[in-house]
Amino acid sequence: MEWNTTQHVWLILGCFCVAFAPRLIPLMFFRTRKIPNWFNEWMRYIPVSLFTALVVKDIFITPDYVVSVVNRAPEMIAAVIVIGIAYWTRSMAISVVLGLCAVFLLAMVV
Amino acid sequence: MGKNIAKSREQEPYWRRILDASLPVDLSYIPIGLACGILLNASGFNVWTTLMVSVMVFSGGAQFLIASLLATSAPMYSVILMMFFLELRYALLGSSLSKYLHGQSLGFTALFAASMNDENYALNYLKFSTDKKFTPKEALHVEHMTLAFWTVSNIIGSLIGSAIHIDLTIVHFALTALFLYMIVVQLKNGLIILICILSGFLAAYFMVLTKSTLGLVLSTLAASFIGFMAEASIRKYFPDSSLLRHIKNPAGSPEDVDE
Repeated sequence: MEWNTTQHVWLILGCFCVAFAPRLIPLMFFRTRKIPNWFNEWMRYIPVSLFTALVVKDIFITPDYVVSVVNRAPEMIAAVIVIGIAYWTRSMAISVVLGLCAVFLLAMVV
Repeated sequence: MGKNIAKSREQEPYWRRILDASLPVDLSYIPIGLACGILLNASGFNVWTTLMVSVMVFSGGAQFLIASLLATSAPMYSVILMMFFLELRYALLGSSLSKYLHGQSLGFTALFAASMNDENYALNYLKFSTDKKFTPKEALHVEHMTLAFWTVSNIIGSLIGSAIHIDLTIVHFALTALFLYMIVVQLKNGLIILICILSGFLAAYFMVLTKSTLGLVLSTLAASFIGFMAEASIRKYFPDSSLLRHIKNPAGSPEDVDE
């Protein structure tokens, strides 16, 4: 089935709604209400948990949602390198650029 | 020396400071945005619909999903449903930024929410938690700067179509490296390291279980709640525990200001 442009536009509008609602609702809810202390303390653990989950997804989870390490050696080695660079330099730009170089070179070698 | 750097930073034009703050994401968006534009073009999107989707959805993962689902001719409701599960995690981003955006106007909140995604959230969260002078307005402009880079890259990708080939798995590692960096700078004590490891295992378990990115949401909720409960219990029963002791930072970057 080939989609036409009108259907694409409807698809984008639908995606916008389901993408916008989860982004907006929590911010709207806490815009004027007082945020309870325990909630802020809980939310402090969100970034590190979410970023770890995203990294695990990027490195170990296949598009069919199976855990796999097949052909992931370049990413796994590069990830260790990035962790080291990030720990010692604390520079986001250096970590990203050297990480990309590392995975690019490793993909050719491994 | 530190003072001189701070002074010259003050004199930089405003847009330059926003560009500097968002540069790591801006630069990694160029190859990924090009690849995304190329894929959308291949799945039948024209330049205008590509422009529309990159501004209105503004999420790399979501746009790659749209492109791959259109290639398999999935029905529209199933694309939108999968999108919903994929985007549900943004509720967590919004919740964890809410204390910094408290009391902003309705229009600002809506505008901020519309272009928030994983990457610019990472930038803004780090800025808010380390720089007391960072304002919600600056955070919004960081979002728009990343959006500009993303949209332009998408459109160029759409225009050049399949003329060039980009190895997606390698390019995507730019974002993985960005998230790894974000994890490393937040590892301030032993408990956070434990929660981080736990979150990794929970993420794999829940994603395999749900066969979707809903697993990301479930594992993040579970791991962060366990972290919060563990910290509260340790503070109550073992206030001298070494788990909460600060780990020395070799580069000596600024401490959190919000504690």
